[in-house]
Amino acid sequence: MLTLQTIADGLVLGGLYALAAVGFSLIFGVMSVVNLSHGVMVLIGAYLAWLLWHAIGLDPLLAIVPVMAAMFGFGYLYQRGLIRFAVERASLLASMLVTFGAALMLRNLLVLVFSPDFKSIAPSYAFAHVRLAGLTLDLVRVAALALSMLLLLALALILNVTRIGRVMRATAQEEVAARLCGIDVRHVYALTFGVSAAFAGASGAIIGLVLPFSPSDDGLWTMNAFVVVTLGGVGSPAGALVGGLLLGLIGAFAARLIGPAFPNAMMFLVLVAMLLIRPAGLLGNAWRARA
Amino acid sequence: MSLWQEGIRRHRGWIAASLLGFVVLAFAPALLPPFYLRVGTLFLFSAALSLSWTLLGGFAGYWSFGHTAFVGLGAFTAALLEGALHLHPATLSLAVGAAAAALACTLLSGLLAWPILRLRGIYFAVAMLAVAQVLAELTSNVDAIKGALGIVLPRVVLPGVAQHVLYYRLFLVLLFAILAIAFAVRISRLGQGLVSLREDEDTARMLGVPTERYKIAMFVLSAALTGLLGAVYAHSLGYITTESVYRTDISLDMIVYCLLGGIGTLIGPIVGAALMTVVTQVVLGQLLGIHMFLTGALLVLLVLAAPAGLVGLLARRRQVPAA
Repeated sequence: MLTLQTIADGLVLGGLYALAAVGFSLIFGVMSVVNLSHGVMVLIGAYLAWLLWHAIGLDPLLAIVPVMAAMFGFGYLYQRGLIRFAVERASLLASMLVTFGAALMLRNLLVLVFSPDFKSIAPSYAFAHVRLAGLTLDLVRVAALALSMLLLLALALILNVTRIGRVMRATAQEEVAARLCGIDVRHVYALTFGVSAAFAGASGAIIGLVLPFSPSDDGLWTMNAFVVVTLGGVGSPAGALVGGLLLGLIGAFAARLIGPAFPNAMMFLVLVAMLLIRPAGLLGNAWRARA
Repeated sequence: MSLWQEGIRRHRGWIAASLLGFVVLAFAPALLPPFYLRVGTLFLFSAALSLSWTLLGGFAGYWSFGHTAFVGLGAFTAALLEGALHLHPATLSLAVGAAAAALACTLLSGLLAWPILRLRGIYFAVAMLAVAQVLAELTSNVDAIKGALGIVLPRVVLPGVAQHVLYYRLFLVLLFAILAIAFAVRISRLGQGLVSLREDEDTARMLGVPTERYKIAMFVLSAALTGLLGAVYAHSLGYITTESVYRTDISLDMIVYCLLGGIGTLIGPIVGAALMTVVTQVVLGQLLGIHMFLTGALLVLLVLAAPAGLVGLLARRRQVPAA
């Protein structure tokens, strides 16, 4: 029974990890940029949801819509105003430093605006739970998992069915060819950043409901995203899902079997092992054929 | 003429400048007020770390994002060993601790080198970040290492030398020793091979450069020197915990200083460390609330404005009239 409960807990967290990581994976897949400010974008989503809940009492689950819209705009401008120049003028590795610098700035702003303390969003239904075949499940967590799955599915549909999704995949595969076909690649890159930020924001709003958060968590969420992508594979919601669930399970089992202090060490050990054995992740790169 | 003789002849000016710099810095403690002496010590430590990093990151192009793993491993190896041995006098203890630190880092990096150097680019960068995280968590959570509790190191006292001057001198000697090592590597056949593997690893390998051996050698050398610095740093702190020696910002600072000064050069890390230490300690020291913001902004501006670093900026300016 304890094992089943551990699996359930792991899966719930894993769903959140997957949603928080999918944007990171998208940017990495489409433009090979490692966005070290991804964790901060997740946190900005959480703080926006917290603000909406405190200021006008908007339910965090409904707040996802305005948060996603705002974050989309933010991501679009962020790419057009900053990341683009970094990639054009310096190397991809140097662009990592630019995103890190941006992360420091944003984190400092979060501290100044919201204080460095932990915050959490606790609506009236925060502590409701159901008992199902001996398992105790928080309603909030179940809702969070369901919503994460729904959003991942939506992103998969966007990428695979709509025109803009096709354009993104085409650009990821062959930038020059996409340009030749009349695609405005700069616009596509900015859109990709926008979509990524929107999903990071959505995950932030859901995370705020489940876990307490503070400005210093940004590194954790960035690393989580990296691990998820390494485990699952680059560029696809399916890869993020596999990686996220796996990470959730590893964390839950490491905490139970080895000790509560070790999930991070376990996570990084798995990460290093995975990089060495299969750097492309379990599902591989969704868009690029590897030799 | 051998590669060595030619390298030394061609860089005569730089060697003379370095010796002059050493002499000037060696006499600086007599003139500097204590606060600036501390800033100077920090500068020497940072510059030495960045130079150790650049052996691998600048020469071979393998950017480690987790070099603090070796600072931490060196510091804790020294602290634990010295605590167990209780050697007298403390200077001997420091020497033994530092040697053990370098040895521990040599062993760990030797074990890691082959698998981890198969990864390239960001994958190597992040794998090293992960190595640092794993070591830090183990240090905190394994009770025998006492990372969470902290360890006090034996206090090194030399008659007639004040504590802060002592570490200033130690780091000064270490900086120039590492500079000499890095220079020797750079002008040797090994250095040529490393640069070729940085530019295009597959081509270099095809042309017969033993890339595997070269990069493993650099990884181990870089790790050992970083560990040595970590041990001395631990002594200069006097008391260490996981948080004080396994610090992601140390890892990143090494990269930032090299990038700011000019990556791949020897003077670059020193210039970068000098500039950033002065800016962050002296100028931004007054503005603690937005310290992180300004550091981030500086980082962004730096990458955008000078992708090849300050040295690169100057070199470009010099080249323009000639071209």
